Amino acid sequence: MTVHDILSALPVKCVAGKEASGAIVLGGYASDLLSNVMGQAKAGSVWVTMQGHKNIVAVASLAGLSAIVIAGGSKPDADTLAKAESENIALLITDLPVFEFVGQLYALGVKGR
Amino acid sequence: MSRLFTADLHVHTLLSPCAAVEMTPRHIVRRAVEFGIDIIAITDHNACDNVAAAIEAATGAGIVIIPGMEVETKEETHVLTLFETLPQLAAWEAYVAARRSGRKNDEKKFGAQFIVDAEDNLVAVKEEMLLGAIDADVAEVARTVAAIGGITIASHVDRPSYSILSQLGFIPPDVELAAVEVSRLTPYREASRLPGISGLPVITSSDAHTMDDFACGPRTEFLLERPTLSEIRLALANNQNRRIVGAIKSRTT
Repeated sequence: MTVHDILSALPVKCVAGKEASGAIVLGGYASDLLSNVMGQAKAGSVWVTMQGHKNIVAVASLAGLSAIVIAGGSKPDADTLAKAESENIALLITDLPVFEFVGQLYALGVKGR
Repeated sequence: MSRLFTADLHVHTLLSPCAAVEMTPRHIVRRAVEFGIDIIAITDHNACDNVAAAIEAATGAGIVIIPGMEVETKEETHVLTLFETLPQLAAWEAYVAARRSGRKNDEKKFGAQFIVDAEDNLVAVKEEMLLGAIDADVAEVARTVAAIGGITIASHVDRPSYSILSQLGFIPPDVELAAVEVSRLTPYREASRLPGISGLPVITSSDAHTMDDFACGPRTEFLLERPTLSEIRLALANNQNRRIVGAIKSRTT
């Protein structure tokens, strides 16, 4: 599965890093604590969070994640959008709460690892 | 002539909902004289309503009060924001107040938030919830503090919660920090070896919420010419013979 498949199947849209939406998704991870994501999320995972500040892009880039989903209607800062473009990380947003979105991702076949 | 000054740059008063009511400005100043502390920064959570009373209470006591605040950023990191003057702190307070949640405090759950005068008289109870994150990220907070003329120090970076390292895992390069603070959990001489602090200067403070915390320290010793924030700023930069000398270890009461 790729980030693009998630975009076509679920109520979520790509707001930055569109060129990276071909990235392969190997699993998923959900957390709002950046230090936890850096330590625990496996490379190739799609990461679901409420955080919208630009440090999420640094973490996704360091951890080799395939995409970031900002859920719960939380909005990314302008800096975050710019950084996602420059780091070439797909940045997705959804109005669904984190719990609902992760449930839909799981039903689509994205599992925790 | 420079000499040693003992500073505790992180002290809460009874304005902070989690602090004991004994933490009045006048009581803090009186005990500071007893403990041999020369410089205190008053740093309540997301507010500064007791700073002016502390400055008044310290008049003639030989204690210098640095106007400050401990702010919780959007990422739930805590930082100390310290200023030279009250007008600078007032400008900072306006910025923070506009970005607080606006919720009302629940005294039963979180504790009351008291504003007092220099003689310990109750002036008001602050109704607005002071705990919680303001709507500004840590880089923006540090940038705004610098623009007003203050400095930002990352609070208790060795603690497992509300520290820039526990929340973000790293110190983003665009965050203008003058120093990082370690808590009593870390022996000061081991602090510079903490991973992730990027070679920043290290201080230690009590983060006192009770008089016992305040008595036990720890505190930082500086070599300064005068007990002012601008001198501390020089010491943190190890500039013009001003410097951090070390820590006064915690003691038990």
